[in-house]
Amino acid sequence: MAAIKKGDTVVLVGTRKGLFLFHSRDRRRWQSRGPYFEGQTIRHAILDPRDGKTVYAGATSEHWGSTVARTTNFGGSWDLGKEGPRYSKESGLTVTRIWQIQPGADGDLYAGVEPAGLFRSEDGGATWASVEGLNYRPDREKWDPGAGGLCLHTVLPYPGEPKRMLVGISSSGVFGTSDGGATWREMNGGVRKYEGGGSFEDGKIGTCPHKIVRDARDPAILYMQNHVGVYRRARGDPQWTVVEDGLPKIEKKVPASFGFPIAAHPHDAGTAYVVPLEGDYNRVTPRGAMAVYRTRNGGKRWQRLSTGLPQKDAWFTILRDALRTDDGDPAGVYVGTTTGQLYHSRDEGDSWRLLADHLQGIQSVEAGTVGGR
Amino acid sequence: MVEGESTVRVELPTGLREYAGGRDSFEVHAGTLADAVRALNARFPGLAYRLLDDQGRMRRYVLVFVNEDPVAHLEPEAVRLKDGDTVHIVPSVAGG
Repeated sequence: MAAIKKGDTVVLVGTRKGLFLFHSRDRRRWQSRGPYFEGQTIRHAILDPRDGKTVYAGATSEHWGSTVARTTNFGGSWDLGKEGPRYSKESGLTVTRIWQIQPGADGDLYAGVEPAGLFRSEDGGATWASVEGLNYRPDREKWDPGAGGLCLHTVLPYPGEPKRMLVGISSSGVFGTSDGGATWREMNGGVRKYEGGGSFEDGKIGTCPHKIVRDARDPAILYMQNHVGVYRRARGDPQWTVVEDGLPKIEKKVPASFGFPIAAHPHDAGTAYVVPLEGDYNRVTPRGAMAVYRTRNGGKRWQRLSTGLPQKDAWFTILRDALRTDDGDPAGVYVGTTTGQLYHSRDEGDSWRLLADHLQGIQSVEAGTVGGR
Repeated sequence: MVEGESTVRVELPTGLREYAGGRDSFEVHAGTLADAVRALNARFPGLAYRLLDDQGRMRRYVLVFVNEDPVAHLEPEAVRLKDGDTVHIVPSVAGG
């Protein structure tokens, strides 16, 4: 097994059947490790950017429950976690899946789970506490599950401001806190309504935010791939604005650009990536041709990128966490398919190569630098 | 052993052995199925989490038989055990 050294790029690939780890010195030649957690679904795994060596994996066994496992030697040994997040007896709820793991700006570790809820760990995932201000909101009974289940799939800390955070819940919308999780506010103004026309009001429950990211330079600027389109939220603006110029829009029910993932560039302001699908009635790459779209101007215009990606008979789905950038310069971009291909770009998306094939359906991709950058 | 407890055998499936020191069979003193789970958890902390959901019921895809009787649908506290019983824990045949 090849050694992993400081400065190497590590790519974590969560699949329906286990976790795979790829690493490279130059992002040209890759070595692999795994699979870990055989038979278990890994919806998300992440290299902690705070130390560049701790990897957390949300491991879901449909039989034996979900825990957050941890390694500090890139899979040489795993602490499987004795207990995962759990709801209170009074709630009547049971955690079934872990969808997201995110180190917070406050030094804690956060987990987003199904049924939708947020949990905080102060000891690196060994024990968990419910973020009650969100999990037991009075309007929880109005939260609707999407096709994937009622899940909290996005956790976005605010760099340098530990009490600020937002989360994405499908299919209830975006919620933000500025008091460390005690209270939360709906942030769904301007998002199209799925039926009946019009858009949601700020401060109200919304619809399905498939993925949300922060701008690399200004964390107050947000980009979102929603069930009903692609949006940008400017600093100080309570409304989301549709930013779909250049994206395919062949959705039959709502004229919006459908897809699941969105990723931000690690350094460049206004640069983000999406992978549009045909529509919510047919969640596959449009016309069997795979393409990643990139904006370099905050969504004013999107450019189709397909060099090296399959352009024929490519009928698969890219899930919400299966598109990420690394923190290299130029940025690497990674995208995984539900049919088990992992593509990567060393030139910010201009060209692509197959990094791995024949994996199980890819649930998530994360990339980072060993030892941090 | 305290009054009301029995000596029972608990059989674990392959998928649980990594949480139980690699073993597949245990003898415990327990009056109920809940007692048996607590006894296992005392030896291997975290094992109860693998068996019980957040509400204290057996997880959805975990089957439990006392001898040949299915009991996973019952409250674990309500499942009485007697000397010589064997508790079989089995993953349900499900998934893809």
